[in-house]
Amino acid sequence: MQSESAKMTTAHEAGFRVQYPNSKQRAAKVIALDPASAAIVEEISKKSWNGAAFFTSLAFTAEGNPGAVGGDLKAWLKDLAGRTMDLVAEVEHSDFVVVITTTGADARAVSVIADACALFNKSLVGLIVPGQDDSDAATTESMKYLRPYTRMLVIASGTDYIEAMLTALRA
Amino acid sequence: MLKKEQNDYLCQTGPGTPMGNFFRCYWQPALLSEELPEPDCPPVRVKLLGERLLAFRDSEGKLGLIDEFCAHRGVSLWFGRNEDCGLRCPYHGWKYDVTGQCTEVPSEPTESGYAKKIKLKSYPLIEQGGVLWTYMGPPEKQPPLPQYEFSTVPLNQTFMTKRIQECNWLQAMEGGIDSSHVSFLHRGDLHNDPLFKGAGGNKYNMQDLSPVFEVVESDGGLLIGARRNAEDDQYYWRITPWVMPNYTGVPPRGDHPMHGHFWVPIDDENCWAWSYDYHPTRALTDGEVAAMKDGKGVHVKYVPGTYRPLANKDNDYLMDRAGQKAGRTFSGVEGIGIQDASLQESMGPICDRTKENLVGTDNGIIMARHRLLRAARAFNDKGVQPPGVNPEHHTVRQAALLLKRDVQYKDGAKEALKAKKGVRQTSV
Ligand code: FES
Ligand SMILES: [Fe+2]
Repeated sequence: MQSESAKMTTAHEAGFRVQYPNSKQRAAKVIALDPASAAIVEEISKKSWNGAAFFTSLAFTAEGNPGAVGGDLKAWLKDLAGRTMDLVAEVEHSDFVVVITTTGADARAVSVIADACALFNKSLVGLIVPGQDDSDAATTESMKYLRPYTRMLVIASGTDYIEAMLTALRA
Repeated sequence: MLKKEQNDYLCQTGPGTPMGNFFRCYWQPALLSEELPEPDCPPVRVKLLGERLLAFRDSEGKLGLIDEFCAHRGVSLWFGRNEDCGLRCPYHGWKYDVTGQCTEVPSEPTESGYAKKIKLKSYPLIEQGGVLWTYMGPPEKQPPLPQYEFSTVPLNQTFMTKRIQECNWLQAMEGGIDSSHVSFLHRGDLHNDPLFKGAGGNKYNMQDLSPVFEVVESDGGLLIGARRNAEDDQYYWRITPWVMPNYTGVPPRGDHPMHGHFWVPIDDENCWAWSYDYHPTRALTDGEVAAMKDGKGVHVKYVPGTYRPLANKDNDYLMDRAGQKAGRTFSGVEGIGIQDASLQESMGPICDRTKENLVGTDNGIIMARHRLLRAARAFNDKGVQPPGVNPEHHTVRQAALLLKRDVQYKDGAKEALKAKKGVRQTSV
């Protein structure tokens, strides 16, 4: 007699997989950590997404505290309509957080975002894409900012990976 | 998750498909040398990338890989007589050489030249490192020979096996990139398997069960680094290389031989999982070879006389629920190769990736798919030579090492990740 594994691994049997959804929509928060990545994220945010929300960190803008990390966490993110957003609340209501930086940029804002993620046990994925200076040294700098905080860090050779990754994660 | 069109694009490798064209840019393992051991030995059926072929070694030892079927009336030449520098069809006696050229049509006068007009499709077949490799693309685009280190060291330093896996190549290969399954599915094997145990690095695996990952693009594909905490402000890194389209290396343990895989499409619902083990600087010991032959490490035990694993879907992979409960194995299935095969075959002949829910730590897989799609499109639309064709891309080594915490491993492990003749692997 045919074993159950043999029977069940045919293409025919694959047709009987249940058709009900196996997941609910998840809230991805995608945060650009520097001006160059903010521009890229802004473009990507125009596509249609499955609930993903896109932000820029205010650490590098005039509204934030340029060059320093800290300030008012209630107004620590900016959404793409230009409103300031409460970092802690955004992270609390997320399922996972993705931070994006371009090589060589100042990405120290990640530490504050990581604190918020740690507070609510959210996983943080870091993505480094090529910036103006994509030398090894610049890449290492970016890596040093992100490595201490991310469970998965990706150093991608092109910005097209951001969209590919978010799509793969159903963001 | 992949969209259905993307999944179809990546999984279909038959003639004329975009991914089929892409695979036909590369040298691929076709047979083990042992399958054609001597001149005039029996021919062997080979199905690759959805094409049915026949391999044989002629009276002078020349290798041929030709269309399986006789041009006369379509008989399988597997029944042929391999003699006098050619393969003769047993039906009406037509004869072919290793290039597929018909050399005799007995019913026609030799002078008529009839035979010259008959030629079966053939592909080059070369022997290197105990493997017979073929290239199935256009002859004018044939790349230089492969330079994977396992295939260029002396034969007593390398050992290769293959096993059939009854599912699409991509879901099999993704297992080779998916470092995060190792701490679950294979957790029992680190201490017991003779080809892994005793390595200094094993303690880091045990102390820290949730590694953190870093994925970095390389010229030929990807590097997937898994890091764990180690003493003195260092990380213990295990770095897995993937070379396009279907080569993966497993990071080494101590001075054990290094292993890795090729995942070669047979057709869209079957593939060959090739498993090598080699040491860059020394002969394999008798004990190591015996263990490999006995199906230890990444190798498997076989149904006698075949390359089908002894534990397979027909016997439910010899599932041992008591062993699962007792924790002897995590899944109840014995042996690393079969643990992988059982689960990957259970996905169905072609995994439906529209139903997946990937997480951040799956970025190795996400990136590999992305790069395959990107490279295959660039090749099909614009003729751009894909990564992994250039033999320099083959000379990447897997590595396991300690690095200071603020070092980018692509830099810090630069030398370790390069195959160098006469230089031992970097491993703890
Ligand atoms: S936990 Fe990964 S496939 Fe089920
Ligand atoms: Fe595995």
